[in-house]
Amino acid sequence: MRRLSIIAITVVGVAGVVYAQGRGGGNQGVQTDGGVRYINPGSPTVSDAEATSRPIPRLPDGRVDLTGPWIGGGSNGDIERDGGLKPGELPLLPWARELRDKRLAKDEPYTACLPMSVPRVNPYPWKFAMSYTSRGLSHIYVLHETGDAGAHRVVYMDGRKHPPKDEWVPNWWGHSIGHWEGDTLVIDTVGYNDKFWFDSRGTPHTEQLHTIERWTRISWGRMVNEFTLDDPGAFSKPVTLKFTARLLRPDPETGIGDLMEFICLEDNQYGRAGGLQGIGSGTSNQR
Amino acid sequence: MRLGILGVALGLIGMAAPVVAHHGFDTEYDAKKRVKLAGTVTEVAWTNPHMRVYIDVAGPDGKVTNWNMELTSPNSIRRQGWGPNDLKKGDKVVFEGFGGLVVESRGSLMYIAKAETPDKPLFTQGGPDGQQAPLPTP
Repeated sequence: MRRLSIIAITVVGVAGVVYAQGRGGGNQGVQTDGGVRYINPGSPTVSDAEATSRPIPRLPDGRVDLTGPWIGGGSNGDIERDGGLKPGELPLLPWARELRDKRLAKDEPYTACLPMSVPRVNPYPWKFAMSYTSRGLSHIYVLHETGDAGAHRVVYMDGRKHPPKDEWVPNWWGHSIGHWEGDTLVIDTVGYNDKFWFDSRGTPHTEQLHTIERWTRISWGRMVNEFTLDDPGAFSKPVTLKFTARLLRPDPETGIGDLMEFICLEDNQYGRAGGLQGIGSGTSNQR
Repeated sequence: MRLGILGVALGLIGMAAPVVAHHGFDTEYDAKKRVKLAGTVTEVAWTNPHMRVYIDVAGPDGKVTNWNMELTSPNSIRRQGWGPNDLKKGDKVVFEGFGGLVVESRGSLMYIAKAETPDKPLFTQGGPDGQQAPLPTP
């Protein structure tokens, strides 16, 4: 019993440390005790205290640097809750609310490693990769460490318009065009498919979905996404949600904060502990 | 009382938990199937979407079961400082977690430590409460 108590006290201490880290604590997410490292899942981000400790960086052309990498700016669990609304305020049409309430976690596309799309992908590490050509900033590629099934999202910055509606081929990331309003990057997207879920709660949408993201870096360590969702097929009116992204903390050893490889289908064993069959394509099916 | 302290500790681990998970806890694991076991690591799999540690555990009858314990993504774990030298095949360990809903030995890992230093966890992770926690806000 004495050993149990020691373990309990140790664990309380660890939990406290880890909790602080999860909230962006200043110890870079690694705590050592006698050389043993305690790990908490999730990637470390710049703390609140440090978020304003440096100026907002700018690119050589004077534009605000939104590159990142970031963690946040969306919601994996519940866009209503994490987007700043009260329970029930998300203006879902009755059929959509009913569908959300009856969806089962085992059926959600992401557990089969399909893309999460907007804004659900953002809680995982991601970045805006600015692509400059001789004509200036022509494209922004939005790179996601996970949640995109290996796809890349393109935001056209060359002044083009959306294609005519009858030429849309609905897909996971839609057709995105961007422009600057001062230091805010505005991304307008149409042409989504209706296959992805907005969150693990199962919030649905239709192919009529139109989103407007307004990304503003409010400090060195934080960037706000004002996300307007307009989908007359599933919502009674447009709604604007607000999410905040946190700058990924650079690696404590290398000083580099960057994206890493993630191949979701490598060994996806989702569902097998619960007795589900045929989900994933891992190499460990027989174990 | 002491068990109560342990309960508080485990509750705090839940708070400390992973703010982002690949999927929910309840569809795979049973919060009532708490396990606390000892065994020998047979494989540390740095695989996507989630890492797994395979551990041989001998039962009271001597029968050995290979437990398949799920962690979080390898990228998250690398960013927290854990590397390929921190846990290896052949290591004797103690570990805690939750068993699978149907296949009990496919578990969710909460705590693992070397057998010689059971009070120094190599890894801690939340259970059902932790995996459902909202994202951190500034």
